[in-house]
Amino acid sequence: MVTSYIPLNLDECLKILSDKQVRIVAGGTDMLIQNRSHTSMPIGFKSDVCYISNIEELKKIYEDETFVYIGSVCSLEAIMESELVPELLKNTILEMASPAIRHTATLAGNIGNASPAGDSLVPLYLLDALVEKRSIKGVSKVALSDFITGVRKIDLEKDELITKVIIPKISFTKSYFKKVGPRLSDAISKLSFAGAYKLENDLVKDIRIAFGSVNVTVVRRRDLEERLIGKTKDEVKKMVSEIVDWYEEFIKPIDDQRSNKEYRKSISLKLLRSFIENIE
Amino acid sequence: MKDISISINKVDNEDKCSGKAKYVADYKLEGMLYAFTVRSQIAKGEILKIEYPELPNGYYVVDYKDVPGKNIVKVIYEDMPVFTTGKITYLYEPISLIIGPEKQVLNDLLKQVKITYKEEEPVFEWTDSVVHYHFDKGLGEKAFQGLEKVEYDYKTSYQEQAYIETQGFIGYPEKDKVTLLGSIQCPYYVKNAVVQALGEKEDNVRVIQATVGGAFGGKEEYPSLIGCQLAVAVKKIKKPIQLIFEREEDMLVTTKRHPSRVHFEGYVLDNKIHGLKAVVGIDGGANIGLSGVVLSRALIACTGAYKIDNLDISGDVFRTNTVPNGAFRGFGAPQMFFAVEMFFEHVAKKLGIDPLEFKLNHLAKQNDFTSTMGIFRDPVLMPEMITKVIETSDYLNKRKEYEKSEFKGVGMSLFFHGCGFTGSGEQNHIKAKVKLKKDKDKVYILIAAVDMGQGVKTSFRKLVSHILEIDIERVIFDNPDTDFVPDSGPTVASRTMMIVGGIVARAAKEMKDRFDEESFVVEKQYVQPEYIKYDEATFKGDAYPAYSWGVNVVEVEVDKDTYQVSIKKTWSVYDIGKAIDERIVMGQADGGLAQGLAYGYLEVMEHKQGKIMQKNMTDYIIPTAMDMCPMETYLFDNPYAFGPYGAKGVGELSLIGGAPAVAMAIEQAIKRRVFKIPVTPEYIMELINNGEN
Repeated sequence: MVTSYIPLNLDECLKILSDKQVRIVAGGTDMLIQNRSHTSMPIGFKSDVCYISNIEELKKIYEDETFVYIGSVCSLEAIMESELVPELLKNTILEMASPAIRHTATLAGNIGNASPAGDSLVPLYLLDALVEKRSIKGVSKVALSDFITGVRKIDLEKDELITKVIIPKISFTKSYFKKVGPRLSDAISKLSFAGAYKLENDLVKDIRIAFGSVNVTVVRRRDLEERLIGKTKDEVKKMVSEIVDWYEEFIKPIDDQRSNKEYRKSISLKLLRSFIENIE
Repeated sequence: MKDISISINKVDNEDKCSGKAKYVADYKLEGMLYAFTVRSQIAKGEILKIEYPELPNGYYVVDYKDVPGKNIVKVIYEDMPVFTTGKITYLYEPISLIIGPEKQVLNDLLKQVKITYKEEEPVFEWTDSVVHYHFDKGLGEKAFQGLEKVEYDYKTSYQEQAYIETQGFIGYPEKDKVTLLGSIQCPYYVKNAVVQALGEKEDNVRVIQATVGGAFGGKEEYPSLIGCQLAVAVKKIKKPIQLIFEREEDMLVTTKRHPSRVHFEGYVLDNKIHGLKAVVGIDGGANIGLSGVVLSRALIACTGAYKIDNLDISGDVFRTNTVPNGAFRGFGAPQMFFAVEMFFEHVAKKLGIDPLEFKLNHLAKQNDFTSTMGIFRDPVLMPEMITKVIETSDYLNKRKEYEKSEFKGVGMSLFFHGCGFTGSGEQNHIKAKVKLKKDKDKVYILIAAVDMGQGVKTSFRKLVSHILEIDIERVIFDNPDTDFVPDSGPTVASRTMMIVGGIVARAAKEMKDRFDEESFVVEKQYVQPEYIKYDEATFKGDAYPAYSWGVNVVEVEVDKDTYQVSIKKTWSVYDIGKAIDERIVMGQADGGLAQGLAYGYLEVMEHKQGKIMQKNMTDYIIPTAMDMCPMETYLFDNPYAFGPYGAKGVGELSLIGGAPAVAMAIEQAIKRRVFKIPVTPEYIMELINNGEN
């Protein structure tokens, strides 16, 4: 028998996490699939579960001077409708799943699932997003890129809950997300790419590049980005082939039922090339 | 009187939209048990030992030892056991059913079944030919001598029917009877198969159709297998039992469209193909089943919509240790029309001629001989249809313009579909019977035709009410039940309106003459048009009583970075004789084309060591509304003498042209020759890197 807990506020939830051995379910759109069983049978959870989607405190989106805070049970649809959320993330969400799933699924869930094909992870890595975790012992923040430690592996203790996704407010000259899925809607990515840059007087002040579905986690290389900062846009554009070569070794996709590694790699690098060539 | 084509609301709209319609999973009978299938975990070998866990009270195992009659599923070619006796020929082959009241318990029991195998090396190569056909036309290969040879090879892969509702039945005992209620296309196929498996009298088997949530051929012969299994179980246990597949189970084990390979050699003189050699192979999977018929229908279509005087045509069904392939909307034609349309395109390009002009020069006309020396007896409207599609799509200008541009393309496919069974199949095998019953102010249509979404309930009630000149509400058409309806044949082969509707129309006309009688029954049987003479062995004569024709134009754009294809718009013209309801035909036109286009560029299904890799709707990509485009469709009336109001076949035609048209459009967009479908971005990348123009 599986016991279901449905806490109505955060304190109650943290207490349950502390006292019991439970799996956390937010929107459930991945959890239900992963634990599916026969039609008209209960979901095949292998442990007790805690449904957090009724916790009002986690449904807020707000900002201060430096960050936008997204509560961990905000639906993707709610995030897409918020005026506070960066366009890059909204554009990404628009390409995720289907409207029905977007009304239930959460951003924190996409993070917690830590799939190599998690679409929202790509812009979130690019935006240097942070994850706020809470337990009855207290609260901590960790960079998303440290939070996700491998395929479906995250840095979350059993008594901890993701409470917020925190996005630094950054302005870019241009930001860009491209999902390459097998069809235009309701599909898991073959690969995805996000790029953003900030120019001041033709000088590159900031440039960020991230790839999804081509390695165990999102590929983002700050060391390579830093080599470009301070150069003029024309200098960067002239380096395009060199830049593509830098990234080549980090794009390590696999063959699976959705695509093959040759395509994933080649198109990822093509999107990078096209992004650099189109810096304006 | 109103033109019959003018659309009415589909009669089942309300039931289906409100949720009132009952599908097989909606029936809960008292004391109903559930059946789970024990399946092989290897692709080839022998079962040495099966150890079942100890069964709790009220749980049962049913296997081949329980089959009271013949342990073979009755289909056209009988080589599939109801339950294997020990020989394993494909992965997940059914071995037995575990049956009981609790799904959770069944799930646990299923995991504890231990099977010891003697494994053998499975065969996935196409080497084991189990059906071979060959036929000539004209002088055959003698005509090829001294002519310029142009040869190309084409490949198609699996397609999955992807009906919304998975396969399923409920079976229950009724006195001496075993009754099956199921999601099926062919009530009498199931009944006849169960009669054989149970070794029972016909009266002791009853098959009822529940509302069907899509079929596309996938519920033609496959339900006979699980229907027999369940009937055996009901006979043994004497309780109601439900057997319904989960989605993944359904996609892993049920029949799919046959992958194909076609080698063409065209023999050319003065820019005309005078001779054609074709060597065709299809992958039958582990059982032959309907594969021979699929192959023969593919071979008959080898010249496409064209006339070629000399043919040397051969083909094989290869047996492999993979999931058995079977019926799917189009039944061999989609594979062959892809190949032949691409071949004409490629030969024209090789000869330096405009492909459309080349195709028009070969187009079949009324009174021309078909590939099997039958005759296209009815007017062929293709020239007018092509003119219409060119006018509405601006094909000629686009074709010219996109030759100069990059990543945009337009393609046109020309095709037909032979309506009904091949040759004398209707007369010799099916012998369709229909009944119309008048009971006071109501008229009952008693036929075995299944509405699987294609609108048969609406179009037949409309047909009968139109002839009788009575309100449609007075015409009743319930889901077929073999205890009450005669065998009007299976709901397949684009035959339902043309053949069954033709007989029903005759019955209705007779009823009309006697309409002042209060209660009576009119019974009618299929009568073969006198002109049909076909020899199945030699492929000689009229293979079909009539042909429906079509033209598709498809415009695409290919993303220059990702090679993703987007379909901008389609234009289609169809000659289906006469539409019994225009909106229903338009639904078939749009749905069929979407399925055909997706076959051509989107739907990837492959097996790895006999295991289907795309086993759910997440991984098997069918188009969403976002992927499809505006579709402009026109119908040309061309009444067929033996169809009701002139109606010919509709259901399959609209699927056939999609794949070649989209492949040709992509070919133009990427300036590389396309030789296989689906034309995925991965394949486009390969072509851009290594292909030829």
